[in-house]
Amino acid sequence: MASLSLAAVAADDPVAALREAAPFEDASDRFLKRVAALARTSEFGAGARIYAAGDAADDIFVLVSGVVEHTFKPEVGAREPLKRLGRGGVVGWAGLLLGGKTRRLATVRAVEATTVLRIDTEKLVALLESEPTEGPHVMERFATMIQREFTLPSLLAQVRRLSGPLTEEMSSVSLTMYRLSLWLKSPRPYLMLLGFSLFLAAWYLAVEVWKLPRFREMPGITAVVKEWLSRSPTYGLSIYTEEYYQHIAMSVWRIAQAFFFATALGVPMGLLLGWSRVFKEYAFPVFELLRPIPVLAWVPLAIVMFVATESSVVFLAFLASFFTTALNTMLGVESIDESYIRAARCLGANRWQVFRHVIIPGALPFIFTGLQISIGVSWFSLVAAEMVSGQYGLGYVINTSYMMVRYPTIIIGMATLGIVGYTTSALVRIAGDYLMEWRVRELALSDR
Amino acid sequence: MDMSSPPSTSTRGHILIEDVVKVYDAGGAAVLAVDHCSLEIDPGEICMIVGPSGCGKTTLLNAIAGFHDITSGRIVMDGEVLCSTEKPKSNPGPDRIVVFQNGALFPWKSNLENVIFGPVMQGRLERGEAIDKGRAMLADAGLSGVEHNYPGEMSSGVRRRVEIVRALMNDPRALLLDEPYRALDSLTKSVMHEALLEIYYKNKVTIFFITHDLEEAVFLGHRVVIMTTRPCKPKKTLDVDIPHPRDYSVLTSKRFRELIEETNDAVHEEALKAFQAGEKEG
Repeated sequence: MASLSLAAVAADDPVAALREAAPFEDASDRFLKRVAALARTSEFGAGARIYAAGDAADDIFVLVSGVVEHTFKPEVGAREPLKRLGRGGVVGWAGLLLGGKTRRLATVRAVEATTVLRIDTEKLVALLESEPTEGPHVMERFATMIQREFTLPSLLAQVRRLSGPLTEEMSSVSLTMYRLSLWLKSPRPYLMLLGFSLFLAAWYLAVEVWKLPRFREMPGITAVVKEWLSRSPTYGLSIYTEEYYQHIAMSVWRIAQAFFFATALGVPMGLLLGWSRVFKEYAFPVFELLRPIPVLAWVPLAIVMFVATESSVVFLAFLASFFTTALNTMLGVESIDESYIRAARCLGANRWQVFRHVIIPGALPFIFTGLQISIGVSWFSLVAAEMVSGQYGLGYVINTSYMMVRYPTIIIGMATLGIVGYTTSALVRIAGDYLMEWRVRELALSDR
Repeated sequence: MDMSSPPSTSTRGHILIEDVVKVYDAGGAAVLAVDHCSLEIDPGEICMIVGPSGCGKTTLLNAIAGFHDITSGRIVMDGEVLCSTEKPKSNPGPDRIVVFQNGALFPWKSNLENVIFGPVMQGRLERGEAIDKGRAMLADAGLSGVEHNYPGEMSSGVRRRVEIVRALMNDPRALLLDEPYRALDSLTKSVMHEALLEIYYKNKVTIFFITHDLEEAVFLGHRVVIMTTRPCKPKKTLDVDIPHPRDYSVLTSKRFRELIEETNDAVHEEALKAFQAGEKEG
């Protein structure tokens, strides 16, 4: 009796039942009433089959009461081949995504007496198309719900059929574009802009409006921006002067060399440290003794070792970066699950093949984390080195501007460093994404 | 044809474990993990090894696979001595492939790349041939369509099946399974059992299967060997006289229930011992 009256209440209010379904959760009442007008109520007894895999996919079902068992065909590659759904569950959406010409992907059976709302897919699509604001939103929610069911590439392919032509396979480029478009749709870029605005506003207020004690001597944002964008800068450095780019180019060129050597030597060093126990016994204590020595402590020695200032600056930028890369690579090798190595040995791989096919790719995530840190560290060391010696470069700009009391130029140098440094580290990250597509896809699935 | 005993057609994959002892030297304190264990596995048999977690059954598997050495005794496969007191550690190889507890498909290789890894590394097949064979075997296991996905994108059930296909690509004498379905939920597990049997009926490879799940053992095995907990050695052997091929209706059959009841006490007793000893699971 109780279940009967419950079903009756639920059937009385299809709008409430629809609202419990994920795609309709935040739709307006007016919109849901239109959907409800399309829906017909059906009842199935315990054990009754609602539809079977291979049937034509015509209606979409929203569960009002009861429980159904949903079994995907094995070849679909679903994340959950077998599951049970109750009130608010949505089944039979295959037709929605693939244009109504396809077949059911799963078999659905009522486990107990079940009431459903069935909605003709084509009519629902027509309704969604007629609603310029809510329609696409609900469609997006359907897509999101479906993408949770599958592994990424197949879901992307299906989501794409909603609007545009289908691309055969996701390449790295389209994956990056897809991530970019997701990013632009999310609140994140706007929060980022807001963060920058707040920071710049605080600077403006502190220096130019409130004239706070500690900030009085600091150049204000207007003075800096004016100088930075000026065609004839007071202190000789702006985006219109050739010198500005010479400094940037010099620093970038030094970083490129330092980073190249740090990677070319640090990665093999780290791989060896992690892979060969004997090598580690020899090398690691020395390595650990040298690693904590700050770059500035190396300056005198660097100047003695390299007669030319240029090489000593590059050497200093290289040093810290090398240690970071080697250490992270070593940790990367040590983090590899023993099972992978054993599996490779079982499958007949020799020692070198294990190294090539298991150790190197297995350590890659750590290596790239290391490289991102390493390029930051090399900027840090470079600027320190350029402040001590050198005739060009952003560190040199900051140091000489300080000595010649050109405060706005100091800020220009700092801001430029921030931008260029960030760009290089982003480039390293993008390179990593291209090399580790497997990782990108895995992380995308775990919503990180 | 009587399918309750191992198929007589198989002639390879005979494993003989003779008087194997394994002592771990854990920080100066010797721990006896396997104690004079003897066991013979027929070619093409599904032999289920049941014991509580940490009882030392994985140690035995590692000795067969060649991951660990043994202290004394010997293990022979098809007449070839894998390891013995004189040569305590065998070399891992594609004639006996381990399917790991947490799965060991390489996450950085696509499913197809994983499947062709063995033959290509050993130089037995050209890459092109291996790809053709790999696709065919995946399709045969009902897994076509997953070739270009990475393992990390697939459900754990699909990953386990791909891993078994990867092993079978090498035409092994034996598969050594180390609680491969431990991390799966019970619904997926039931699907996996039938899938494994289906693959077995096609390939008839010897299966050495470690588990702590008695129902799993009785459902799959020709024979169930219940192990004592630390040190590990056979306590009770059960011949499962339910004919193969089996499907899920077996689970509700009277005979299945009887066999479970017959062995449940022995398993429970060992589980209790392991619990009281407080062994670390592993």
